[in-house]
Amino acid sequence: MTGRITYMELKTGLKGLLIFSLLIIIVSVGMPLILPAYRDSLTEDLEGANKVNLELPTEEGGMIVLSWEPLETASDYMVLEDNRSSMVTATIKYVGEETSITFEKDFEEKRYYAVMGESTETVDPVLIGIAATEKGEDPFQGLIQNPAYAGFTRGRKVSMLEVKGFLTFEFFGFWWMLAGLFIAYLSVSVIASDFENKRMDVMLSTPISRRRYLLEKFSAMSVIALFIILVAIVGLTGGLANINELHEFSAETVFLSLIGCLPFLLVISAFGMLTAVIFQKVRVGMGITFGFVFVEYFLYIFGNFSKSLEWMKTVSIFNYWDYLSVIFDDLFKAGDFVILAVLAIVLIIICIWVFEKKDIPT
Amino acid sequence: MKFMELWVSAMDQEKAIIIENLTKLYGKHVGVKNLNLIVNKGEVMGFLGPNGAGKTTTIRSSLALIAKTAGKITIFGLDSHRDTVAIREKTGYLPGDFGLIPSVKVSSYLKYLLSLNRCPSTKKMTELAERLELDLNRKTNELSKGNKQKVGIIQALMADQELIIMDEPTSGLDPLMQQEFYRILRGEQKQGKTVFMASHNLAEVEKVCDRVAIIREGQLEVVEEIQTLQEKTGKVLEVEFSDPVSVDEFKIEGVSEVQEDDGRLILTIHENLDSVIEAVSNHRILNMNLTTYSLEQLFLKYYTQEKQQRGDA
Repeated sequence: MTGRITYMELKTGLKGLLIFSLLIIIVSVGMPLILPAYRDSLTEDLEGANKVNLELPTEEGGMIVLSWEPLETASDYMVLEDNRSSMVTATIKYVGEETSITFEKDFEEKRYYAVMGESTETVDPVLIGIAATEKGEDPFQGLIQNPAYAGFTRGRKVSMLEVKGFLTFEFFGFWWMLAGLFIAYLSVSVIASDFENKRMDVMLSTPISRRRYLLEKFSAMSVIALFIILVAIVGLTGGLANINELHEFSAETVFLSLIGCLPFLLVISAFGMLTAVIFQKVRVGMGITFGFVFVEYFLYIFGNFSKSLEWMKTVSIFNYWDYLSVIFDDLFKAGDFVILAVLAIVLIIICIWVFEKKDIPT
Repeated sequence: MKFMELWVSAMDQEKAIIIENLTKLYGKHVGVKNLNLIVNKGEVMGFLGPNGAGKTTTIRSSLALIAKTAGKITIFGLDSHRDTVAIREKTGYLPGDFGLIPSVKVSSYLKYLLSLNRCPSTKKMTELAERLELDLNRKTNELSKGNKQKVGIIQALMADQELIIMDEPTSGLDPLMQQEFYRILRGEQKQGKTVFMASHNLAEVEKVCDRVAIIREGQLEVVEEIQTLQEKTGKVLEVEFSDPVSVDEFKIEGVSEVQEDDGRLILTIHENLDSVIEAVSNHRILNMNLTTYSLEQLFLKYYTQEKQQRGDA
């Protein structure tokens, strides 16, 4: 008899769960597959780049060496400098017979150099090639250094061009919302709809205590949370294997980084069930639970702004699911896992206590 | 002291439900006030009252679906709000308003409830479905109101529990099905079951109940044997004759009131139904209708009078 309610809940919710799993598969397999295309999009295709060579200094303030293939018909060479590859606002850097110049790197930004040959036969100069001081650049690099976004990386220097950095933003950055709101929705409606659709009277006239009713529903939610995490683990590992990046981002890292969100989801689930028991309405419970998830999220983000706001971080459940330390430091924080699990249990105990005191509405 | 307690609990064994001084307040609104009621084992007790009188509140307090403000309810000697699970093991319940799990087969919904009730046998479930002509292969969300009510009746009875509590069991059932339901209920009583049934329909209560408790505005008015109640209230006979007849002709023993209304005679009969019919049959009858007092008439005619008398004395 034990587990009948859990079983029924899983059975009636199976179709929705499978549809949602399909969405997770698409996202978790698809995200790694996008990485190569993303990298390509950031690598510029400069004209005649193979004919021009630019050597950057190893230390700051060093010398740049720019050399190019000589042009047979050319008598003179001209080098233009600009911070845009289109050379709209170019200044003349050099005019002369040499095929190589050396100059000091006394600037920070990216600059482009166009080398032209002045021919004796034609009037117009001929373009030999263009070189740049930086290769393809990660456009998020500047953004990540902003403290407002420090929460996404916990202050780490992360590159979007690498698989770890890319998945940190493009998968883990919204996985909490996808999985968290799904579990929030299910956990609220699994209880509140029994109130709204007047199923509670019949349910609680069977020899099922209110405590067992809640525990069985919570078990169903735990199974679902674990299931969607496992689907994501399989999907993400599959996607990484497909782009041959498992040496960079191993299956074990995928597993440990995602399994850490199990107690995180269970806290959301327990909170959702608590609102359902208190307000007994799907809409109200859902609104408050969604609000809870977002408030926790912003507490975490603001908590990373500065030292004085750090306390905010400590009261956010997001702080205790540290996938970044798994991804970048190979460190799984078991202590945080336990903290969230304990919090979920405490919330469920409160939920039972409230439910046992509540009148079932007609 | 010990002896008294034992004696009281021994007495309690014969009672299915004992409600003592039950009060339930919803804020300032009174649901039930100082209600005392005993339902004996093996009887069919009707719980009669107009809508909003407190029937549902009493029933739901008994099953601990709502907390009580004051008082005590004992079911088979068990405390209603402490031994909830043990009580529910012995009790089948049909709520006045209920929903089903959507998009599942009726049979799987009922089997689910059977398993929650720890009843392994589906025999009674199929038997009841046949008697009530309910197709167990239908989906729960495709049911009409009447069919949904049948599902409710079946789920209350199928686990073969000792006590059956029902709140307006025949609402939504067509008259033929109502008759079948009454037969089922009598069968349950023969097997020794106790039935506590809330209704606002006096005729229904008269048909199936041994005793009736009448509640109004949260307070118990009276508890009476059905027979006594019937003697007090009587039947109403409406007759239409082809020729005019004198009212005096029907002022015979057992008839408390004769009214003439637009060519029809309305007689209130308490006893001697046969001699009244004899008197009626002396004339050519166009139409005839024998009815029970409605609950409203019952209160108006009988209980308000009695109260006034009590007040006067």
